Amino acid sequence: MSFHEHKSTIEEGDTVILYLNPSSIHAVTVNPVTKNKKDAIVENILQTTQGGLKIKSLIGKEYGSCIQLTKGYGFALHPTPELWTITLPHRTQIIYTPDISMIILQLELKPGSVVIESGTGSGSLSHALIRAVKPSGHLYTFDFHEQRADVARTEFQSHGVGEFVTVAHQDVCQNGFGLDVAGKADAVFLDLPHPWEAVPHAVNAMRDSGGRLCSFSPCVEQVQRTCEQLRILGFIEITTMEVLIKEYQVNSRPMSVIDLEDIKPEDTGPHSKWKDPLTIVSCHAPPTLAGHTGYLTVATLPPKSSRLVLEV
Amino acid sequence: MARARAADRLNAVLMFSVGFKLSAMAGALDTVKAGDYIVIQRQDYFKLHKVSENGTVNLGKDILDIGSVIGKPVWTTYRLEQKKGGRRNYQLKECSITDLKDDSITMSNNSTSTSGTDNRNIVDDGSSQKLSMEEIVSLREEGRSSKEIVGTLIENSTTFHSKTEYSQQKYLKKKEKKYFEYITIRKPTLRLIAEIMFRLDQGKIFGLRIDTLSQIPTAVNLHAHGKYIVFESGCQGLTAAALLNGLSNEGRLVYVHLGNYPSKQALLALNMTPEQENSLICVNIYNLLRKLKSECNGITGEEIKLEGIQETSTDPKDIELKQEISPKEKELQPALEEESVKPETDNKKGADENDQPLTSSDQENSCQNKRKHSESGNDDGSAKKKSRWEVETDRAVSTLHAKADGLVIACREHPSSVLKALLPLIAPSRNFVVYGQVREPLLELLQELIKRPDVTNVRLTDTWLRHYQVESNRTHPLVNMTGSGGYLLTGVKVQPKDF
Repeated sequence: MSFHEHKSTIEEGDTVILYLNPSSIHAVTVNPVTKNKKDAIVENILQTTQGGLKIKSLIGKEYGSCIQLTKGYGFALHPTPELWTITLPHRTQIIYTPDISMIILQLELKPGSVVIESGTGSGSLSHALIRAVKPSGHLYTFDFHEQRADVARTEFQSHGVGEFVTVAHQDVCQNGFGLDVAGKADAVFLDLPHPWEAVPHAVNAMRDSGGRLCSFSPCVEQVQRTCEQLRILGFIEITTMEVLIKEYQVNSRPMSVIDLEDIKPEDTGPHSKWKDPLTIVSCHAPPTLAGHTGYLTVATLPPKSSRLVLEV
Repeated sequence: MARARAADRLNAVLMFSVGFKLSAMAGALDTVKAGDYIVIQRQDYFKLHKVSENGTVNLGKDILDIGSVIGKPVWTTYRLEQKKGGRRNYQLKECSITDLKDDSITMSNNSTSTSGTDNRNIVDDGSSQKLSMEEIVSLREEGRSSKEIVGTLIENSTTFHSKTEYSQQKYLKKKEKKYFEYITIRKPTLRLIAEIMFRLDQGKIFGLRIDTLSQIPTAVNLHAHGKYIVFESGCQGLTAAALLNGLSNEGRLVYVHLGNYPSKQALLALNMTPEQENSLICVNIYNLLRKLKSECNGITGEEIKLEGIQETSTDPKDIELKQEISPKEKELQPALEEESVKPETDNKKGADENDQPLTSSDQENSCQNKRKHSESGNDDGSAKKKSRWEVETDRAVSTLHAKADGLVIACREHPSSVLKALLPLIAPSRNFVVYGQVREPLLELLQELIKRPDVTNVRLTDTWLRHYQVESNRTHPLVNMTGSGGYLLTGVKVQPKDF
């Protein structure tokens, strides 16, 4: 249940994020036992850089507790879609938190909204979409890959958010979003190789009172074709943007100061004189960072009465 | 060819959908009521406005009788019709979107007959337009439509037809923008409010850009039913609005503020429902901390630690000034009090300016508060009924008896003391986020936090936002972008190691 609401104590079946340091974060499902390679039931032990952890020992601990490991310690954190995004098993390329946050604001989601997502992929964005619209709203998510859809469905169930999401195995470019959602969606999110093919179907899925659409594409050619299609179908406020995040390394360190005062003509030799070092707080941008994730194209679909469909 | 075929296929899909659900059409759009906030859209310009009956609004140099939109649904389009008296006074006439399209040169797709291939023969000597300034102004004053005016401008331009097709489009867009006489009324959303406020004056919202704003609710894991604390000063209520927007009626937002009244412009612009107003609890930071401290002293074993509170209360003079004011005195000097709390003159100026764009809202806000005060003031003589701020403080304290699910700080003051005082109020494994327009205070805060055993995963980030022009064969980043959208420091509260 841990993705649905905040709770204080870890129970069996919860997903817990074990935080050791910024580069070592694990998502673990709290199952006391697991199966080994030979299919025998054995005690569930997580191996980390700080040593092993008996998963059973987490049960009954408070979220946020410091957990002793054989060679160090870590913190058992409450799961969030953001921590899930950085720990989830990748089945596809995923969308990261800076883009996700912007998508949610741009789609104007709030509790009660009905939102469509295609494709589901690894479910990174899905968790955040569900959080934004639950408990009264709903996410309909589509993927043309059957296994991916199945795994995502199971994952949502085990994360306690199954009731707020419907996962469908469907090729939306060919077959649309189906009659179940026709005229119901407040917002549509597209992350597809050919998003422009899904745009007419998105219009059918959206309410007569209109709504918001967002398409995420890594290539500018995809963006051009999508924007053209959006214009034809009467979308307005069509905007394309990129959001990138930069994390700073903060250091405080002494910096030496050369003493160049009081130089006398009789001084000999190239010896250096120093003043007291200064303490400098520095803020470094990382040497390499993600310089491109994808273009976010967002647009408003006006209500039917105010929609201008271009005759081409 | 391929494009035409694609369009055919499209039309087939659309016709199907039109036939399919024409019946489900009516009544989904909200109707504008007096006192509502609306967004006025004129092409790609947006303005936030509070409507009142018989009210007017300034749009550039034009004055519009905006009161007539009351009772009409949002998304209605109006034509500006010149009033007899003033030359740039307009009344609104409801019209359809096709009227707007027919009157728009750029939208009605009439391809111009001739165009040049490049600009080698175009010389800018100021003589290409044969009409004089006075003649152009008189066209407008005669009440001609933008289509007529722009058409006349083209007829009298010696160079228009030798411009390239792209250049002609650019020219038309520019001219039409100047003379466009249609507006559409929209419902304010968090997105529109954030964009309008940033564009109007980013100084008044402490440089909080929409991409940075969007990171805040995710940074605190905003759940609809959760309970969150925000300390905000100098952002016109924008962070509070972003949080409240994501809460259900069962969720709670404790908006902690300096002075007597929180800055609520962005919250008011959301047209809060009574249920949403109930989810919002506004409390002065000293009142909150004092009350918590007194309760804490009474109940032994209460977990709220006093380190932070002691720190903020070391200056007793300060507290006396702000706290020992009776409700009646408060009533008399709300504005003064609010300003006196802001430390720097620069900020003071900001606060003054804050009143201008949304004057009506501010007035309404303080009026409401005054009314509430005077209501309770009437009772003061006879019974010991609590004033509104006392009730709200009690509500905040009882809400925070069980710890909150997240903490947001966005203030012009140094965030260290605030975080220290408010961090004890959130549960372990809950997130906090601090927004700052500049990096330096956050650097200092970060250095304090990494020494604390009860905080982990502290990160300092900023985001970069770039917009694009997307047209076939002419796609490129926009020439202008904003240099900074502010900085965020995020972290998780944990239980210190005890082994």
